[in-house]
Amino acid sequence: MAAKKLRRAQLSQELCERLSRYQITTCQDFLCLSLLELMKVTGQSYYEVQKLLHKVSRACAPKMQTAYEMKLRKSVNPSSTFLSTTLHSLDRVLRGGVPCGSLTEITSPPGCGKTQFCIMMSVLATLPISMGGLDGAVIYIDTESAFSAERLIEIAANRFPTYFDSDEKLFCMTSSVHLYRDLTCCSVLKRIMSLEEEIISKKVKLIIIDSVASVVRKEFDPKLQGNLAERSNFLTRGASVLKYLAEEFSIPKLFLVFVHFGL
Amino acid sequence: MRHPFPYEHFRNKSFVFFSLVGTLPLAPALRSRLAAAGFQTAQELLDTGPCGLSKEIGISREEALEALQVVRQECHGDAARTPGGSGATRKCTALELLEEEQTQGFIITFCSALDTILGGGVQLTKITEICGAPGVGKTQLCMQLAVDVQIPECFGGVAGEAVFVDTEGSFMVDRVVDIAAACVRHCHLIAEAQQEEDHREALETFSLENILSHIYYFRCRDYIELLAQVYLLPEFLSEHSKVRLVVIDGIAFPFRHDFEDLSLRTRLLNGLAQQLIIIANDHKTAVVLTNQMTTRIGQSQSTLVPALGESWGHAATVRLIFHWDNKSFQTGHSGSWPWSATCQAPEAQEFSHWGWDSVG
Repeated sequence: MAAKKLRRAQLSQELCERLSRYQITTCQDFLCLSLLELMKVTGQSYYEVQKLLHKVSRACAPKMQTAYEMKLRKSVNPSSTFLSTTLHSLDRVLRGGVPCGSLTEITSPPGCGKTQFCIMMSVLATLPISMGGLDGAVIYIDTESAFSAERLIEIAANRFPTYFDSDEKLFCMTSSVHLYRDLTCCSVLKRIMSLEEEIISKKVKLIIIDSVASVVRKEFDPKLQGNLAERSNFLTRGASVLKYLAEEFSIPKLFLVFVHFGL
Repeated sequence: MRHPFPYEHFRNKSFVFFSLVGTLPLAPALRSRLAAAGFQTAQELLDTGPCGLSKEIGISREEALEALQVVRQECHGDAARTPGGSGATRKCTALELLEEEQTQGFIITFCSALDTILGGGVQLTKITEICGAPGVGKTQLCMQLAVDVQIPECFGGVAGEAVFVDTEGSFMVDRVVDIAAACVRHCHLIAEAQQEEDHREALETFSLENILSHIYYFRCRDYIELLAQVYLLPEFLSEHSKVRLVVIDGIAFPFRHDFEDLSLRTRLLNGLAQQLIIIANDHKTAVVLTNQMTTRIGQSQSTLVPALGESWGHAATVRLIFHWDNKSFQTGHSGSWPWSATCQAPEAQEFSHWGWDSVG
């Protein structure tokens, strides 16, 4: 929304040309200026500038919905709101499973089985809807090279032996799990930014990032000056893009942070 | 030597006509031309007329007429405002203000300890900031307030509507449904105990469906959408005049990344604070903001402080800081008005089915 060009905000052509001479081309540039600066660059009176601000704001502002409309929309589609983990006590605590349309974070001391859990969720996501799955693809962003395809097949064959009764079915399942090995913060962020197109083209229903904490700890030493700010910058930027994707596509995602003691 | 200026002649006229040309809301290029031509007051402009003006400073007659209309609007606007006292000048005595404040409602939170610290509840026309570590319950409290603002007057509420601006996506409709259902049940219990006619009438319209329909939800994904939404809020509030609460859940989140220029961030935040203060006053609404906590690294230790820096600390009238302490809540109320005592919640606050509620 911020990068929306001013001419699409229904400002007049000559005004847009005049503003582009001052390098003001997007709604973001326009809204970041103070009233006096806007009066100077547009050459218009106070009241006119107020009207322009209204126009540009209307082009950027989100749509209103009442809480009642949100509830109605949710109740229309109840089955797609959770991905069951097939672990009954966990499902009970989570009130159904991993929720759709939001980020879920898994943390624990090392060795508890987070990566194993993720591999199992990948298998579950590829199952057909009649078996409690999502019948879709999985994007697995692996920052520690901990993913093992053999383990994936082992879990699938042992948990659902009746469904994965042929090699063909197993290979079909493995081809819907898309693995990306991104070992630096920068590449993880770039990957997250490029996910939107992948989700649409590959019909992705689950995104797993294993793990965010390891790549952050590798690169940002909290004792050094300035690193805290950069680290929080990276984390919040990634989080906001992931939240946008989750809401836009209403797909369940796992956002993993391995928290070790002392992080 | 006696001053030649004939004060008596002009005593009854509005002093606005003497406002200097430099302060008029005209385009800057036009203003500088007027100053160069020697015009000093608004009265001079009006006396010259559009044709004379256009010849003297070399603009078209239409432009001159437009400028004069702006000047006239400004002068008449000010003249209308000074006797009334409302609008930009807004003057009144402290006694009038006291009476107004005492009759104003509070938005109660149904948690007696919290209401006590706040002096009755969340106040209208003031900005309240809620800070705390993640998971402490800021969004829960905001959702509770969005329901509590709608409680009918006969039950002690302000019978208003709520605007919820969400920047983090943590608004959960199902939770609001739970809170609203519990609130309706609570009011039914009160009505049964007291058996008054107006209670029963009020309960007819105070239903789950009505409560949810009067929470206006906006999801802002970045700071530009937030700025745009706050610019448009006054118009929205004029159209929906029953709104008594504006919640911005997550004022810090969109400003904590993508900002290399910290001075721009400070300026935008200050502008935002100003607009929110104007909204709170003009539309008699309570503005509630939630803020994150960040670590400030000191010499020997690090402390948790509210995010967005010290200059943001001046924006809110009341600042509530929540933190966990051995599994029970403690709330510190640091307000520059009217008191700044910190007090501990005596009991553990539980997130019961009813939302925020005192236990014991």
